[in-house]
Amino acid sequence: MNFSWRRALIVARREFLTTVKRKAFLFTLIAVPLYFGGVMTLATRGSMSDRRDSLRSFTRLGVVDSSGLLTGAAPEITTRLAPDPTGAPEKLETYRTEVVFYADQAKLERALRSAEIAQGLTVSADYLATGATRRYARSTGTFNSASSVRPIERWLARSLLAGHADSLRIERATRPASGMDLYTLGKDDRFEVKDERREMLEFMVPFMVSILLGVCIMTGGQYLLQGVSEEKESRILESLLCALSPEDLLAGKLVGLGGVGLALVAVWLGVGFAVSAPMLALAQFPLSPGLLALAVVYFLLGYLFFASIMTGIGAVTNNMREAQQFSMMFSFANLLPIIVLTQILSKPDGALAVTLSMLPFTAATAMMLRLGTPSSAVPAWQIALSLALLALSGWLVLRGAARVFRIGLLMTGKTPNLPEIWRWARAGR
Amino acid sequence: MLEVRDIVKTFDGRAVVNRVSFEVRPGEIFALLGPNGAGKTTLIRMITDILKPDSGEILLDGTRIGGDSRRQIAYLPEERGLYRRVSPIEVLVYYGELKGLSAHAARAAGLALLERMELAEWATKQVQTLSKGMQQKVQFCTALIGEPRLLILDEPFTGLDPLNTQLFEELLAERRAAGCTVLLSTHQMNKVEELCDRALMINRGHMVLYGSVRDFRRQYADHAVTVRCDRRPDAVAGVHGIAAGDGDWKLMLEPAASPQSVLRELVASGLGIESFSIANLPLEDVFVKVVREGLGLDHGQSGPLLPDEIVKGAAR
Repeated sequence: MNFSWRRALIVARREFLTTVKRKAFLFTLIAVPLYFGGVMTLATRGSMSDRRDSLRSFTRLGVVDSSGLLTGAAPEITTRLAPDPTGAPEKLETYRTEVVFYADQAKLERALRSAEIAQGLTVSADYLATGATRRYARSTGTFNSASSVRPIERWLARSLLAGHADSLRIERATRPASGMDLYTLGKDDRFEVKDERREMLEFMVPFMVSILLGVCIMTGGQYLLQGVSEEKESRILESLLCALSPEDLLAGKLVGLGGVGLALVAVWLGVGFAVSAPMLALAQFPLSPGLLALAVVYFLLGYLFFASIMTGIGAVTNNMREAQQFSMMFSFANLLPIIVLTQILSKPDGALAVTLSMLPFTAATAMMLRLGTPSSAVPAWQIALSLALLALSGWLVLRGAARVFRIGLLMTGKTPNLPEIWRWARAGR
Repeated sequence: MLEVRDIVKTFDGRAVVNRVSFEVRPGEIFALLGPNGAGKTTLIRMITDILKPDSGEILLDGTRIGGDSRRQIAYLPEERGLYRRVSPIEVLVYYGELKGLSAHAARAAGLALLERMELAEWATKQVQTLSKGMQQKVQFCTALIGEPRLLILDEPFTGLDPLNTQLFEELLAERRAAGCTVLLSTHQMNKVEELCDRALMINRGHMVLYGSVRDFRRQYADHAVTVRCDRRPDAVAGVHGIAAGDGDWKLMLEPAASPQSVLRELVASGLGIESFSIANLPLEDVFVKVVREGLGLDHGQSGPLLPDEIVKGAAR
């Protein structure tokens, strides 16, 4: 039977509608963004909350001064903290720590044990020459012990300078670079002040698109894997293949389930932009239609590549469990750029980032990450080459998968080995 | 209607179907027989164009199988399944549309089939809530929708209760009356005797029997007749042995004797004859004999018809 778009579209419509009507789809649609959003919120809010808790409990600092340099020290440490990283400076929260001097270390330790003080500080006799101090605490969290170090440092600096300089100099000496702006070379070859909030947004949009892309390619591929495995396992295929050709079935599945993936991206991006629109408007962040169009192209080609592989796997394996075992390494490859995120961000034009953005397995996610990194200037030829390689490999894998699909669909029993699959991919029926 | 000409299919150098030729006539119910692993499924997959033969050709109404001509063929495989989380009517509309019906026509045809199968009230329930027998009926409907001209059924009666078996047989008779040709693959030999006019039997990829079912049964039977009469028919000329049956007598004929000459002798002897027939072998016994003795595999020395002879016949 020859290939027929009419039959392929009937299959595509059925695949799309039955998938989006499933509870599992609704769960993916709602639960995945909630999960990622929740994880990110927990991570950022959690670290801010830990820092705030640490400062809030830092009410008294006991000091044993053996150097005699701190006699004129201020009796209180004042720390100001912004409520969140994007918060306005006028909304700073203030935390106060009372400083209590002790004659010797034994008394300081006793006060610390009885919780009269939150932390203790001993300043050595040769502090001026060596800077040697000891900080004492009953216990600290794993990562939040540093929260109180900076306030102590500033207090020490103020105390050392008290009486030797005016208050303005002292304030400046404790925060010598608080007003420092960083100018970097922009994409138009001019030095521009680096706006970290804007830069964060400029990065976050492609970063999120990249993650969504990876998740959607994987989700679409998994739906395909599940669909083919289910049809094979439940022996539907033989009667179905009397009404259509394997090519009709393959094309219909690719189109229908690709549509499911695109629908997921559209809903997630739509909701994401709607929710973050006020923040994007505040930062005067223009959404780049070119970048979004490129994301769609990468999605389509990446999906074609991965979905073809998943189809082949679904056709050669006997059940869903076997299919998932085979597909795991390919799914993992798709998200590899996210795993090596820091290397890509630190060197977006480095060998690793460029290689990953050319390899078909990782091209979609890696290139979106590179495009989103503010310090990166991806040459047009690299984008073109990456797309061409992805399209070419997608086409080759699709052709092989169609042959494997045709033969593998009706095979049951022993799962074929790699040489057999290779022979199928090159042979007819 | 369907002509299969000298087709060969090999897998890994082994001929799974070896020079098989046969013809199925319009409107007949034709049996495809053979032991497990004989090559029946491969043969059916070639007829349905799922597999391509290495050589030979398959014609449907004189045109090579393939393209849209295959839409006239429907296949109910032995190992069959359904989408479980959709309703029977959704399954039937899907199959109907794939077979070229509009969505509207497919729905109407699907509902009519479900009605005929006494499943109308289950039309919109999920398939997974249906009993095994009901699912089998829905599967039968998927084959019938679109009114195919050639219906290939692989073990359609397996697992059916007597009522549903009767329903299936009625449906087959209706389809046959409407001009549909049926290729029936089954191991239920009583159904073949009951429903089929002609049959092809293959073994190890070779065709070992081809022709009228009645002829097979007679051909492989002993040279004997069965007679029901008022007393034991002793001392009949041309008879060398008598065996008692279920209220009748089986008379073993001498090689030179014919059933007609023995009947004349019986009448002349003054016996009160109630019935007289040429003894037939049940098809199941023919099947066992042919497969067990490997008849027909030796290029015609033991079997009744040779592939070569049939091919020559087809060429004539």
